Amino acid sequence: MRSLVVFRAEGEGFVPPSSKDFELPPIFGDNEFTTKPIFLILFSVILLSVFFLMASRKASVVPSKLQFAGESVYAYVRNDLGKEIIGHEFMRFVPYLFTLFTFILVNNIFGIVPLIQFPTMSRISFAYVLGIITFGVFHYVGIRHHGIFKYMKDILFMPGVPKPVYILLTPIEIATYLVVRPLTISLRLFANMFAGHLLLMIFILGGEHLLQGAVGLKLVSPFAFAFGIALTFFELLVQCLQAYIFTLLTALYIGGALADEH
Amino acid sequence: MARRDDNAAYSIVGYLLSGLLFWGGVGWALDKWLGTSFLLLAGLLLGAGAALYLVWLRFGRE
Repeated sequence: MRSLVVFRAEGEGFVPPSSKDFELPPIFGDNEFTTKPIFLILFSVILLSVFFLMASRKASVVPSKLQFAGESVYAYVRNDLGKEIIGHEFMRFVPYLFTLFTFILVNNIFGIVPLIQFPTMSRISFAYVLGIITFGVFHYVGIRHHGIFKYMKDILFMPGVPKPVYILLTPIEIATYLVVRPLTISLRLFANMFAGHLLLMIFILGGEHLLQGAVGLKLVSPFAFAFGIALTFFELLVQCLQAYIFTLLTALYIGGALADEH
Repeated sequence: MARRDDNAAYSIVGYLLSGLLFWGGVGWALDKWLGTSFLLLAGLLLGAGAALYLVWLRFGRE
């Protein structure tokens, strides 16, 4: 009888983390707008505002550490993402690129901050909204720069192609500019954050589960935790990289919309 | 300008993807409509080819 109980207790098995673990319940009552990701978004806005207000307040020629930190991020986005890619009109877009980069970065890093540990962008709607904003910005910029007809003509009709070939190429251009670009930019961010969070959950929850098992399993458990910790640092890399790539692509699209050739 | 060429990789992937999606989708829809089964493959190949041509037009001509 006793062995049966033990067997049953062990036979409960490990419940692997799944997409359900991303659907967090509302914090206050039944209000769907009070879930953790929403609060994280608000928190990130407050965090960023406070940080950059503090960093830029009392700006001096010899910067304080805080001012230096704030200015390095800004200089990085302005020079490496703005100037290098968009070209001579880049200054207009630096505020957007800068906001985008820091906003995504902070929300991604929430995924590995102890006690928070949820990357906001692993909920796809947030990534979609950012994708839609970028989509709106680069088309608007292109239309303003070239006028709507020239902008559309540039997109739809590649020069130097025999006319019948346009039947083949124009749909691809339309699909690229209207569907694939906003979709892939959002999905790339979402999928990376989603997969990263899932991976961390597997190793850390798995380690915890092993710890409750038989002696042999207890011995393996530290390895699972160690892997979890290693992957946490790896996640940090991915989180920074994804914030960079999202901003880079936005800059590329804006640069492409402004370009005079093609 | 050199930087923009390096980053063309992202645009190229986008083109290839939309080529496959669009013409593959057309092939799939025609298959459904006509009850055939080879048009999806034909569409995918056509889309990949057309997308490669487009990539060449946009990035390979200079």
